[in-house]
Amino acid sequence: MKTNEFGSLIFNPFKRIAGWEAFGIGLVIVVLTTFTGNFAGIYFDGVIDMHFAENFDSLKSWLMIPVNIISISVIMWLAGITVSKNFRFIDILGTMTLSRAPFLLIALASFFVKVPDLSGIMQDPFVIFDSISFIIILILTFPIIIWSVTLMYNAYKISTGASGQKLSISFIFGLIIAEIISKIIIYQIDKFI
Amino acid sequence: MLPTHCPSCRSQLKVKCMKCEQCETEVTGLYELPVLALLSDADKNFILKFVKYSGSLKEMASDLKLSYPTVRNMLNEIISKIADYENK
Repeated sequence: MKTNEFGSLIFNPFKRIAGWEAFGIGLVIVVLTTFTGNFAGIYFDGVIDMHFAENFDSLKSWLMIPVNIISISVIMWLAGITVSKNFRFIDILGTMTLSRAPFLLIALASFFVKVPDLSGIMQDPFVIFDSISFIIILILTFPIIIWSVTLMYNAYKISTGASGQKLSISFIFGLIIAEIISKIIIYQIDKFI
Repeated sequence: MLPTHCPSCRSQLKVKCMKCEQCETEVTGLYELPVLALLSDADKNFILKFVKYSGSLKEMASDLKLSYPTVRNMLNEIISKIADYENK
């Protein structure tokens, strides 16, 4: 496979996959991510967020799947309406779901992490240095989030057909609002469980 | 391939002369090139495929092994180019 083809597959698979096909593949990966995260004790509690939990609740982690997917898809669809026309919601839904695929790597890597006692982190932030594996996964998290956000950007670009400044500005606003909304919904779910 | 732009200054060319190969008659004037002739070969091929597929972007996407929105974006770009040529 040529380098540019590989790069395209890794950072912009949406040239070839979108709609229901992307949604199907993305959903399988997201379910696998949550399933793996359940064993590792990691929540994907936001559109671009993840945290290790001490009192892990499996039901809560499964409820985060629709919250994250619907938040990012609906907000990006609304953002898309402001800058483009004649695009399908299923393309946004499918490509945004598939954009969450990199988080599977974090879930898999979390298996090998020894989580330090986080209850005392407020008193002593250096407690995280008790575990080298924890530091490694924190460092690994940044490129994976950047990869996922790059995928979301390309998903938004291909699905809406928007370009230029309108594309970048509406994407950034959409992503921030989607993250805030997903956090609010997850906080509300937290209160009911 | 039909030249559409001046090789010297890149301005859009016009048709000055047409010739009948049968009787050698030449018609001289200054005629605009049709909009379709101004498009690139890739764009013309896309339009031909679009017509052959009865305008079905889904079938085109499947044939070209591209996603539906990618093909729709290609069509939107051609529409935009045509609009630009028509407004010139």
